[in-house]
Amino acid sequence: MFAMVMIVDKKAQLKIQQMAFVLLAITLFFVLAGMFALVFLLSGLRGGATALEEKNALLLVTKLANSPEFSCGDAYGSDKLNCVDADKVMVLSKNIDRYSKFWGVRDIEIIKIYPREEELLTCTLSNYPNCNSIKIRTGESGAFSGVPHENFVTLCRKEQEGGVVYNNCDIAKLLVSYDQK
Amino acid sequence: MVKLNSRGIEMSFTWIFAIIVGISVFIFAFILISKIIDTGSMQSDAKVAKEVGVLLNPLETGFEEGKTSSFSIPTKSRIINKCYTEGNFGRQVINVRQFSFGKWSTTDVDVGFLNKYIFSNGTTEGKKFYVFAKPFDFPFKISDLIYLTSSNDEYCFVSAPEDIENELYNLNQANFFTEDCREDEDKIQVCFGGSGCDVNVLYDEGSGSVRKEHEETVYFETDALMYAAIFSNSETYECQVKRLMQRVDSLSQIYMGKIGFSASRGCNSNLNNDLVALRSLANGLGSSSGLNQIKTLSDDISEINNYAICSLW
Repeated sequence: MFAMVMIVDKKAQLKIQQMAFVLLAITLFFVLAGMFALVFLLSGLRGGATALEEKNALLLVTKLANSPEFSCGDAYGSDKLNCVDADKVMVLSKNIDRYSKFWGVRDIEIIKIYPREEELLTCTLSNYPNCNSIKIRTGESGAFSGVPHENFVTLCRKEQEGGVVYNNCDIAKLLVSYDQK
Repeated sequence: MVKLNSRGIEMSFTWIFAIIVGISVFIFAFILISKIIDTGSMQSDAKVAKEVGVLLNPLETGFEEGKTSSFSIPTKSRIINKCYTEGNFGRQVINVRQFSFGKWSTTDVDVGFLNKYIFSNGTTEGKKFYVFAKPFDFPFKISDLIYLTSSNDEYCFVSAPEDIENELYNLNQANFFTEDCREDEDKIQVCFGGSGCDVNVLYDEGSGSVRKEHEETVYFETDALMYAAIFSNSETYECQVKRLMQRVDSLSQIYMGKIGFSASRGCNSNLNNDLVALRSLANGLGSSSGLNQIKTLSDDISEINNYAICSLW
């Protein structure tokens, strides 16, 4: 009689153990499936965000030169497309804190490419206009980084020689970079 | 094992346990799937909102006096236009809700832009949307204003001044009508100089007011703001006008800085005091009814700049 009870007890224990294992396996399966789905979703989200950032930078770089903070307007003759006012941009670079998140990109820089100069000299209030790179906005590192997109622009300012004021325009590259997520 | 005997149904512990666990697993799976669907629809809404904002970038480029474009969203959608004035430039927020599985998605994800000014009703519903942009100068270029309308909303412009009518005609936007639409009740009637229409415009050489039913009267200066007042609700309009004045303030600061550079090269400008006054008026603007005062100063500044040897803009 006692032996019979022992056998039934053992059978029940075995069944409970089996059930516990199945339960554990099912839970583990769902947790793993959930984690896989989450990773898949997040990677898609990150990729989508980067693609949108890239699209924004690409479209922005073509229009930035014509935005009011950069454009020449009528100051150097009639409306010029992709003409950047160097004086305005210099003022902007000194007050960039106000504009820190305005365009939603990481870095904005203008590099003069013609007339060609050997050394790349960053513009400051003391050396302007005898310089060839205006760093308008840089990321936390202070250096231009991120993924860049560029557009060719005309960089104009007023100059005076022999009492005559004239327009001085150079060819430059406008660089915009975005953060890779 | 389920056994039937004279006393009723007898179930073993294993079966009861299996049923409870099975139900729990199903509930857990159901919750997980519905959460994933919710996240997916929220992600889709946010993505569409960001895409709409990014796609509006090319509209803001040019010197063209007005240009139109359209975009479509695969499902019926609501574009909710939110505007905030906090910070240096305020904030333009786009929130998109899509109609799927018989209900509107409810996303809390707001996609914000500091450099955009979108004028539309609080909620614009449809699948196809038209956007039309126009530069706003006050006195220098401030920004391109974007007017967003749904293809579901058709506008009939009645007795519009000739230049406005020509501009609307040249835009060739499919939901704008200037002829033979007065009697059509399905169209939003925009009447110039009239009353009793859906939108009543008082227009006098670029300045005036716009009155809509159940909304406060708003005031405009320049044609760009007139369109803004027509296509947006009064709350959005007033908020965006304040944001534009914030941009006037920032740009005035840049031009004041430029005066210093120009002066060092023999290009003196006597606009400094006027720009200080412009900044002060722009910062103090309470509502669109105060725009006419700023416009007077803006016209004076524009005249001085136009006749200067070295114009600032």
